[in-house]
Amino acid sequence: MKTTGRNKQPLTVSEVGEYSWGFTLIFVLASACWALLPYTGPHFAALVFLLAIVIAGLRWNRGPVLMMATMSALVWNFLFIPPQWTLHIASPQDVVMFVLFFVVALSMGHLTTCLRAREDALQRHHHEREQLLAEKHRAELLAESERLHRTLLDSVSHELKTPIAIIRTALDGLGEGNPFAAEIETANRRLQRIVENFLEITRVESDAVRPHSEWCEIGDVLHSATAPLQRELGGHPVTINGNENLPLVMTDGRLLAQALGNVLHNASIYAPSGTPIEVSVAVVDGALELRVRDHGPGVAEGTESRIFEKFFRAPDSAAGGTGLGLAISRGLMRALHGDIAAQNQPGGGAEFILRLPVKTRLA
Amino acid sequence: MSKALIIDDETQMRRLLRMVLESRGYEVCEAAEGQIGLQEASFHRPDVVLLDLGLPGMGGIEVLKRMREWSDVPVLILSVRDQESIKVEALELGADDFVTKPFGTSELLARLAVIQRRRFTRQSPLVVVGNLSIDLLHHEASLGEQALKLTPTEFALLKMLAEHAGRIVTQNQIIRQVWAGQNSDQSEGLRVHINHLRKKLGESGPKIINEPGIGYRLAEAGE
Repeated sequence: MKTTGRNKQPLTVSEVGEYSWGFTLIFVLASACWALLPYTGPHFAALVFLLAIVIAGLRWNRGPVLMMATMSALVWNFLFIPPQWTLHIASPQDVVMFVLFFVVALSMGHLTTCLRAREDALQRHHHEREQLLAEKHRAELLAESERLHRTLLDSVSHELKTPIAIIRTALDGLGEGNPFAAEIETANRRLQRIVENFLEITRVESDAVRPHSEWCEIGDVLHSATAPLQRELGGHPVTINGNENLPLVMTDGRLLAQALGNVLHNASIYAPSGTPIEVSVAVVDGALELRVRDHGPGVAEGTESRIFEKFFRAPDSAAGGTGLGLAISRGLMRALHGDIAAQNQPGGGAEFILRLPVKTRLA
Repeated sequence: MSKALIIDDETQMRRLLRMVLESRGYEVCEAAEGQIGLQEASFHRPDVVLLDLGLPGMGGIEVLKRMREWSDVPVLILSVRDQESIKVEALELGADDFVTKPFGTSELLARLAVIQRRRFTRQSPLVVVGNLSIDLLHHEASLGEQALKLTPTEFALLKMLAEHAGRIVTQNQIIRQVWAGQNSDQSEGLRVHINHLRKKLGESGPKIINEPGIGYRLAEAGE
């Protein structure tokens, strides 16, 4: 009997329990019906057994239920169908009754367990569906929050930059020569730089920077890094070495130029006016290396990596500046899968190295 | 007198631009919304349009698309956004150039002048940019008195840049025109040819300026 476990899998603990419960149930019911036999007749017992099988089928597995069906048929035959205490059946009607009982008991057991299995499957399916929906919902929420974040950034950017643009245009209208207007203009430029830095660090930190790689001419990158800084770099002769016969590199030229531009701006602030800034370019072992060397005081001992942290400012640095420029440079370089480092040069001054693994192509 | 239409939702920006443009002899009309801007454009028939990309409601890109359905008036994009892809989209939809806020008045006026000049009529087969002249009839280019030796691709490239002198041309626009009908990715070839052209134009010739992520602009030497 115990080998009828489903799919010949080893019996589980709960199934063993169900078998014994089924056995006990039949025993109890058989005893009760036996006691009542004088009042009820043998067919009452058959109906009680059927009822037990249906109820068991709604709760238990198929094996124990089919065991109960078989057992109750045999017990009914043995105890209740005359002649009692034998498996022999005397009258042809009782044979028919026995066969009918056997068939009905088996099919009831089978049907009710099937019904339950289907219900279970349905519930499982429902559960899976709910999980799937929940996951989809989570993903949608995430995308939505990312979109919202970007929209917010765009609108904050618009709100902050518009007044600066208006001041700029209005100052242009005032014309040159007014020293007060010149002060406003200087302050406005500073404000613009701060606003742009704050927006950029927000973008970098929220992974909103999406590099768009294409073949770039390194000369173009150097040009777009230095061109917006003409005012700042005015006091520093900038020399560029090694930019001849360089291959094309596959990168996002705009982001790289921005990273380099911040380093140059930093050098122009910290190095005394009039000292040269040297930029050298090389492609070494499949990586583009941009080195910016200044002749300023250099990086304070022990802060070579801390200077790339947000809001970190050298202890003796002049007022103004947000401590964001180099942090942005590092964020951008990392977004491009490169990195940035700083070191002091033996002859004095700091050297910043922007390193970027790149695909190259001879130009 | 040129008529200019300003489509920008910022009142102050409109007022300032109006002052700047009127002082330069422009007749100015303005609109604070895209839909009204389109009506103004069809009513006043401006010679140049200044279009803000960040309009509420109907965005600048949509305004540009609809305007280009019936008009090829020169359009200058005003933008505070620095996302290059939006600028490229606007340029490829037919905008003529862009300035990024905050911009200097002189930069704005120079761009306006250039894009208004673009309606060049081909009465002369000669395109001149500074000391560069291109003879379309004889397929020749020269720098001052010196003839330039150019390959056919370089000539086509230089011709396109010179015809749009002072104006931005997107990479795709160049590739579509110069490498018409070739399917392969030509962005690398474009870089290489630009490189060669720069060498041939030398120090004295016009400069080919790259706008990263957008395209190229041919500027007279010293600009």
